[in-house]
Amino acid sequence: MPRGYMGKILRVNLTTNSLKVESTSEEIARKYLGGKGYAVYLLYKYLKEYEKAGISPKDINALGPENVLIFATGPGTGIPGFPSNGRYHVMALKSPLTGSIGSANSGGEFGPFLKFSGFDIIAVEGASETPVYLAVVNGEAELRDASNLWGKNVFDTCRILRDKVGGKNTSVACIGPAGENMAYMACIINDEHRAAGRTGLGAVMGSKKLKAIVVSGEEKVPVANPERFSEVSRRCLDALKNNSVTGVGLPTYGTAILINIINTAGGLPYKNWQTGVNPDAEKISGETLAEAYLTSRRACWGCPIGCGRVTSVKSGPFHVLASEGPEYESIWALGSSTAVKDLDAVVKANHFCDELGLDPISMGSTIAAAMELNERGYIPQEDLQGLDLRFGNAAALVEAVWRTAYKVGFGKYLALGSKKLCEIYGHPELSMSVKGLEMPAYDPRAIKGIGLNYATANRGGCHVTGYTVSPEVLGIPEKIDPLKAEGKAKWVKVFQDFTCVVNSTVNCLFTTFALGAKDYAELLSAVTGWSLTEGEILKIGERIYNLERVIINKFGFDGKDDALPRRLLEEPMPEGPAKGQVIELKKMKEEYYKLRGWVNGVPTKDKLAELEIEL
Amino acid sequence: MLEAPALVLVKIMLFATLRSKYKTRELTVACDGTLPNLIENASKILGPEFVDDVYDKKQTKVRDDMIIMVNGRNIKDLKGEITLKDNDVIAIFPPLAGG
Repeated sequence: MPRGYMGKILRVNLTTNSLKVESTSEEIARKYLGGKGYAVYLLYKYLKEYEKAGISPKDINALGPENVLIFATGPGTGIPGFPSNGRYHVMALKSPLTGSIGSANSGGEFGPFLKFSGFDIIAVEGASETPVYLAVVNGEAELRDASNLWGKNVFDTCRILRDKVGGKNTSVACIGPAGENMAYMACIINDEHRAAGRTGLGAVMGSKKLKAIVVSGEEKVPVANPERFSEVSRRCLDALKNNSVTGVGLPTYGTAILINIINTAGGLPYKNWQTGVNPDAEKISGETLAEAYLTSRRACWGCPIGCGRVTSVKSGPFHVLASEGPEYESIWALGSSTAVKDLDAVVKANHFCDELGLDPISMGSTIAAAMELNERGYIPQEDLQGLDLRFGNAAALVEAVWRTAYKVGFGKYLALGSKKLCEIYGHPELSMSVKGLEMPAYDPRAIKGIGLNYATANRGGCHVTGYTVSPEVLGIPEKIDPLKAEGKAKWVKVFQDFTCVVNSTVNCLFTTFALGAKDYAELLSAVTGWSLTEGEILKIGERIYNLERVIINKFGFDGKDDALPRRLLEEPMPEGPAKGQVIELKKMKEEYYKLRGWVNGVPTKDKLAELEIEL
Repeated sequence: MLEAPALVLVKIMLFATLRSKYKTRELTVACDGTLPNLIENASKILGPEFVDDVYDKKQTKVRDDMIIMVNGRNIKDLKGEITLKDNDVIAIFPPLAGG
């Protein structure tokens, strides 16, 4: 077994209440690395087995026992000195929110401590009849009764289980009431405030009655070439320290600092994407957050950047004793898309998302869609049951979050996500989502490359899949014009492929503001003992992206679903530096498919053969 | 007789660490319509170090890592010489990022 891996995969079947240990395969690790890559490979294997058993991929129920949930670390996770490697990746065969693949990534301590407990990956299938939690402690795994935890919020669940298990390196990943109630945008939270946020993985966990996974251990991750690793790691850590983004910008302000710059560029969606200019951006900006709410900063395990924000709302109706965040995306979704300019309320709403286990991006964007539906008179007042959903209503924002978690009153509609909500009320075009996943905080009419990425990301409307905002607005690694449609496809492809590498290593995407594929090749070679080149690293990323695409093709997703909401294609941006712009998606997609070797969103046989993907 | 060049009034907005450094969010500055003159005049209010925050050490070109926008358009995306007009807004950001 190459170094970097613990060599063991834990297979859990909640229907039969059985646990099995398998070996991590060196052959698969070489092709797919770990983390997201290895999880995609395992999910594809499950899909083939289901097909052999006569279960069509399209018939797989995301909330049924046949769905599979995988928690995966990679060869970089948990090695002291490997930059920002306190992360893990979670995947589900199918997302209840989108019907496409489920995928999310989280920080904190869970990833490293999973490895210290002796395992690379945990794969969960089936469903328990009664609430259970999985304890993986010092190499031993056990399913335990969670009936006295069911109903508890994320904070209490984490604290109770951490105290119960004890030990030095103990971490809890769990669901809150939102996941238990299977709200479609429910998420998985570890270490109280770090979220594997998107695509409703918390609902999948809730459908299996799996309340939590607690990991604990003191094993060390082996490294093939410690001297060489030490040399490369020191160079990479210096690069992170000396880079103005990772060394100063992110530690000082966190991600919320983006509010003002994206707004100045005319791309901060406001009032459910009716425009990209928010007149109250300053009130919900990173500068305001730092001034009035920040109490300290926090870092994930092994991270020198430390972009986490510890915050509080000192007094008033939205008082919060101590929280983490909100991040840029959370502020945007809960504050800008909803036009709520009271940052107290946004901090409180984000705090509820952590407490109850909800994705703030999908939550905020769904509330904003409901606000637009309501203001246009499309929702009967008796459905709202007194929830006054109008743009800018801070109290309604906060109330809507807990109603969604418990599916009470109008919350039972919000819990379906914006796509189904808007369909129910007869206006699907008002859901600002792709493949059912609500788009994050950048308007493609003002920043066109990210629009192409939103349309083609396998999990749906997602920014981190291929974050071209970096060159388009931030100028990293070089500046490209956000208003130009031509030439964006190659950026989207390379960012998507490289991000798969980061999510398979598993470490933090923020290192890529300072480190490149060559650095990853050198770090991973020193850890594993393999001789990885920059080209091979990117080919691994491309392989993972394509196999994931094969899976969603089997679910029925193809070129027609690589789309964007009509508003972005047909309603010109009404104001700001991008005034008059729409996004020319059709020609951008043509360029992209050509580069990808796909036809109508489907990889060709030649492309799959080139990437050595065996179907 | 030589006429003085027409002056334009331009708003400069500062963000992130620049705000805390200069204890200023925005200022309106008169200039001859060119960026170098604007920055030079602004430095008379903010202090001489402001020039080094915008220009490289030789003061020949704008620092590569700074983000400077004219009416929301990054100057790196604008072609040719930049001519500033009355009521233009220049936004200056230090290197920053997010997700």
